[in-house]
Amino acid sequence: MQSPVLRLLMRRLGISLIVLIGVSMLIFSIARVIPGDPARIALGPNATTEQVANLRAEMHLDDSLVVQYGHFVADVARGDLGMSLYTNRPVTLDIAQFLPATLELVLFAGVIMVACGLPLGILAARHKGRWQDNLVRLFTLLTVSAPSFVWAVILMLLFAFYLPLFPIAGRISDIYEIERVTGFLTIDTLLSGNLLAFGNALSHLVLPACALALSGIGQAARLTRANMVETYDRPYIEMAQAYGFFPSRIARMYAFKPSLIPSLTIIGLDFAAMLGNAFLVEAVFAWPGLSRYGVAVILRKDLNAIMGTVLVIALTFLIVNIIVDLLIAFLNPRIRHSTRASL
Amino acid sequence: MTKLLEISDLTLSFKELFATTDVLHGISLSIAAGERVALVGESGSGKSVTARIILGLLQETKTAHITGDVVFEGKDISGMVRRDRARLRGTEMSMIFQDPTSSLNPTFTIGRQFIEILRRRDGNRAKADCLLRATEMLDEVSIPNPERVLASYAFQLSGGMNQRVMIAMALANQPKLLLADEPGTALDVSVQAQTLDLMRNMVTDHRTAVLFISHNLGVVREFADRVFVIYRGNIVEDGPTAAIFADPRHAYTRALMSAVPRITGAGLPEVPEVSEAFLAPQISHGDVA
Ligand SMILES: Nc1ncnc2c1ncn2[C@@H]1O[C@H](COP(=O)(O)OP(=O)(O)OP(=O)(O)O)[C@@H](O)[C@H]1O
Ligand SMILES: [Mg+2]
Repeated sequence: MQSPVLRLLMRRLGISLIVLIGVSMLIFSIARVIPGDPARIALGPNATTEQVANLRAEMHLDDSLVVQYGHFVADVARGDLGMSLYTNRPVTLDIAQFLPATLELVLFAGVIMVACGLPLGILAARHKGRWQDNLVRLFTLLTVSAPSFVWAVILMLLFAFYLPLFPIAGRISDIYEIERVTGFLTIDTLLSGNLLAFGNALSHLVLPACALALSGIGQAARLTRANMVETYDRPYIEMAQAYGFFPSRIARMYAFKPSLIPSLTIIGLDFAAMLGNAFLVEAVFAWPGLSRYGVAVILRKDLNAIMGTVLVIALTFLIVNIIVDLLIAFLNPRIRHSTRASL
Repeated sequence: MTKLLEISDLTLSFKELFATTDVLHGISLSIAAGERVALVGESGSGKSVTARIILGLLQETKTAHITGDVVFEGKDISGMVRRDRARLRGTEMSMIFQDPTSSLNPTFTIGRQFIEILRRRDGNRAKADCLLRATEMLDEVSIPNPERVLASYAFQLSGGMNQRVMIAMALANQPKLLLADEPGTALDVSVQAQTLDLMRNMVTDHRTAVLFISHNLGVVREFADRVFVIYRGNIVEDGPTAAIFADPRHAYTRALMSAVPRITGAGLPEVPEVSEAFLAPQISHGDVA
């Protein structure tokens, strides 16, 4: 019984590895054809030609692209992403510092997306053609019609500026000194037992997460509605009705689960897309995440840092996809039991 | 004899934005406790909508406009509030569908679905107790290895097996009335015949009244005590099965009898021609003596 899921997991891991290698090759080549000498940029205009040549040698920049890539892979295999020319620290350290803020934002937005999008979709499907449906459709059309950074600005103006319910920028007020354990402030504040600080971190999180989640909510709701409307036409729904189950129970138990399965893949992709959108939302809310770092290192042609950032984002993307696939396998008995029962 | 179900002068029309379609034009039909009654007619004649009205489902559709009485166990279903109608479904009445495999939920095991259905009768019934009852029922429909079936999903079982499961589910709560809307026409002919036999034995044992809906007069002959022939929303002839087969008087009934069921598809009969005589008034052969 375990083997189909295990096989699926192995296959997904294999594919992910191939994708990761592909992405790294692509970015590796692109980063190197951007005009400008990274060693010269790093050392500044006052460095001597000799100093620049030394740094170039140290970075293997004079070797062929293939050899350079070989060096890179060997380093990565050892867990070494090299030094950042921008911060003068190991790239792994930089990422460990900035990634949790972004992940916290994206995860929180993902939870909001699922927690609002799915129920809205169910509501609309259950009341298809009635005012509840029209209201949800209007709302979702609105949310998908503007990108998240526009929502970021709108939400900030509405709920931080005109109606100062939430803080305008940052992750937490300066007055709190929180010991860094996971890098997720909502977790670290709880670990330190400081509930006030937790509330403060949470209130900083609300607006950027909502801005990031809004278009995802719209998509998730529309998708869930469409799939559920289709499921409602299936004979097993008629059978459930013929057995007199409450409409709410039919919606939750009989119609929702089969409809969720096709929605999940897209929701997973939406979730991954939020990683990209997070860059702009972070910029609006001065959120100290990976985005500022990413933009800064690209502008300085900081090769190691670019590669590190891209790899981490690709990896997160792939992990999300694997989790979604496993979730689908868990929900869909056809995948779990791909064989017929032998009777 | 007191009737379990008594339908009188039932009309149904669908009122849509620009048009009104009359589907049933005042049909009357009754079923006594434990009686097996067949409703026969061609596609679109209004058989399934009749079943959906008896179940109280169509009453909840906004566009459906229904008049007439549907009295079940002395109570008028049309006059009931929604919740009371729902209470009858799955307990006092249940239904068997055309395609067993797609009528069972693909995301729950058979066992889980049995538990849900048994809890329609008794919401607090223990899981183990439900499964015990389910095993009993599966035994009755001659399913070997019931425990294994309970742990399976519908897509893991054959169509014939699923049909037996459906029959077992439909009778698990000891309903007084079973509605069977072209049961098993999605299955192949020999499997269909086998499961119909089984269904007949089951309803006889449980003394369940049945409304059997079919295109096929041949199947009906072996199954039903009484037959109602429906044509375009009108009952055109009714009476004991033997009487109707011995002496079909209405032009439409005769046409149905001479029609050959097609082997392919759902076995829909091809009625040779449509004639004015089909619209002649209802002919009743009276009740079972
Ligand atoms: N919800 C609905 N809205 C509008 N018209 C409907 C609806 N349900 C059924 N009808 C119409 O009512 C008529 C009778 O339908 P019904 O399903 O009862 O036919 P049937 O006798 O069961 O036919 P079949 O043998 O093909 O199942 C058909 O013309 C159908 O188009
Ligand atoms: Mg029908």
